[in-house]
Amino acid sequence: MMSEYKRLHPISAVASFLKQLKELIIPFVLLFVLNSRGEKGGFWDYMPLISMGAVLLIVLAAGVIKWLRFTYRLEEGELRIEYGLFVKKKRYIPFDRIQSLNFSEGIIHRPFGLVKVKVETAGSSNPGESEAELTAILKEEALELERIIYREKKKGQLPDTAEESEIHEESSHKEGNVVFKMSAKDIWVLAATSGGIGVILSGVAVFFSQFSEFIPYETVYDEIMVFVKSGLLIIAVLSFVLLLAAWIFSVGWTFVVYGDFKIRMNDDNIVITRGLLEKKQVTVPLNRVQGIRVVENPVRQLFGYCTVVIENAGGSALEKDSSTIKLIPVVKKKRVSELLAKIFPDYELAEDFQRLPKRALRKYIIRAVDWVIIPVVILSIMFWPLGLFSLLLAIPFAILGFFQYRAGGWRISGNQLSLQYRGVLKHTAYLKKSRVQSLDSTVSWFQSKRDLSSISATLKSGQTGYTSEVKDLEVEDAAEIYSWYSHE
Amino acid sequence: MRGEPQKRISPKALKVWRLHGVIQTLLLAIVVAGVIVLSTLFDWPVWIMAAAIAVLLLFTYMMIFFLPTIRWKRWRYEVREQEIELQRGFIFVKRTLVPMVRVQHVDTVQGPILKKYHLSTITISTAATVHEIPALDTDEADELRHSISLLARVAEDDV
Repeated sequence: MMSEYKRLHPISAVASFLKQLKELIIPFVLLFVLNSRGEKGGFWDYMPLISMGAVLLIVLAAGVIKWLRFTYRLEEGELRIEYGLFVKKKRYIPFDRIQSLNFSEGIIHRPFGLVKVKVETAGSSNPGESEAELTAILKEEALELERIIYREKKKGQLPDTAEESEIHEESSHKEGNVVFKMSAKDIWVLAATSGGIGVILSGVAVFFSQFSEFIPYETVYDEIMVFVKSGLLIIAVLSFVLLLAAWIFSVGWTFVVYGDFKIRMNDDNIVITRGLLEKKQVTVPLNRVQGIRVVENPVRQLFGYCTVVIENAGGSALEKDSSTIKLIPVVKKKRVSELLAKIFPDYELAEDFQRLPKRALRKYIIRAVDWVIIPVVILSIMFWPLGLFSLLLAIPFAILGFFQYRAGGWRISGNQLSLQYRGVLKHTAYLKKSRVQSLDSTVSWFQSKRDLSSISATLKSGQTGYTSEVKDLEVEDAAEIYSWYSHE
Repeated sequence: MRGEPQKRISPKALKVWRLHGVIQTLLLAIVVAGVIVLSTLFDWPVWIMAAAIAVLLLFTYMMIFFLPTIRWKRWRYEVREQEIELQRGFIFVKRTLVPMVRVQHVDTVQGPILKKYHLSTITISTAATVHEIPALDTDEADELRHSISLLARVAEDDV
């Protein structure tokens, strides 16, 4: 047990100084520009510069003092942190309230072999209250910390298994076994299909729309001359080049953020590491995973790729999207079941879903087309009769409705419910009965005439919930799911 | 699916909902009165006034007479040993199952109108969702809250 008071690495003083400096840049530049006009005379003309210097000094001093005042130690089964510039604050976190330690290495950290440690706790009734962050400590120290905390946690749970905890210590010391690595090709697919593709498509569209206008004409040459003179072509080319550059940048950025993506299994934790410049490590305890969802966006679906996300209970209030974690950002769909079998052996990922009845298709199409009714009515009235062409808008929505209908499905196996449904993205949710917080079955007036019913199941996800809903199931099927969930 | 849940909420809920309806109708009536005044002042077409009055009449009927009745008829609940079942809704009839093991806490809430009629609303919270049984007799609500929290404590997890 290490119980001496420890400080963060001095670099954290510099880091906090730099962070403050970043916020001060704009006012300083303003001051500087305003002040640079005119001749400098007496003391008062230099006043702004002097005060700037003073502010800098104070900020630097504050950074140093903050660093001096910040101590952490492990004592009596608690992580004890004391800090505060003027008001001394103490934050004691018992080990068994600590869910995981998440490491990240920024550009500042890497040359010194440092990591930033985020302490995640189970979602408390007062979010953000018992979370802590160690801005910069040596990597060895962080690992030591992790080992001690996990060992103590284990001890707390199983009092008489000292030997076993030794073994755990061994295994957590190793890298754990890597279950998934993202290949360069995967990252390419991720980059090319994430919004970036929209950019490039629009670029191509701009380009070709300019071309198609003059291709059919006989006097191609003249047209081109006129075109070039009018500068339209140049604008088209230029915008395409710009968009292309933006896209290349986004690809590069994806490589920086998702490079070296790995998933390891370490005891009962999933450890996700990623990043080329800034290394991030997220630890998710297996028993906090509420459910798994495979998400396919239409473009990726076309190429046979998908994303796997997990719903995480608790999560950190500091990190916006820590409740739904992208476990695998992009992967060939064929590989998913084999991969997930390694990570979650107790989930069953079969593909034989029960589909929706034929008569549900009509409801799906009507529901999707509903969205365009009001715009169509408005357009038709305003631009009569040409506005009637807006009715064509209904076609893509009807097609979406058809695909939503096709995606809908459900499956029960033992204590697991799998639901498949589509908004624009297709979701396949795998839910354990013991993780579903509540289940709804809804019959609308229109549905009751056709013996259809919708089912929705809510999981805990972060501080709130995530609801999966399949619409227009056969009434008997909905009843079967309902009684599957019933505890009586 | 087994038959719908058996227990109904207090018949006094009807009075409370009608009272809510009256308040909402009064608010709308003020707006409609404004429209009538404006349309006489500025000589708007007659159909605007007519439409406004029609909307008001329809709203009055729906909020004070039709909706409260149908809502009350539809509202059912049942608290069993292992789970709570709710049913509600007019166009969308929704049935919800909340297992006892998932219940985290139960509250009773009472606003000024509910208090006048000696009624309370029960809210049941799980880790992710909140469910409500509106307008139960206060004594009954207190008793129910107590028994739910007891049942939730002894409910066995089924992992």
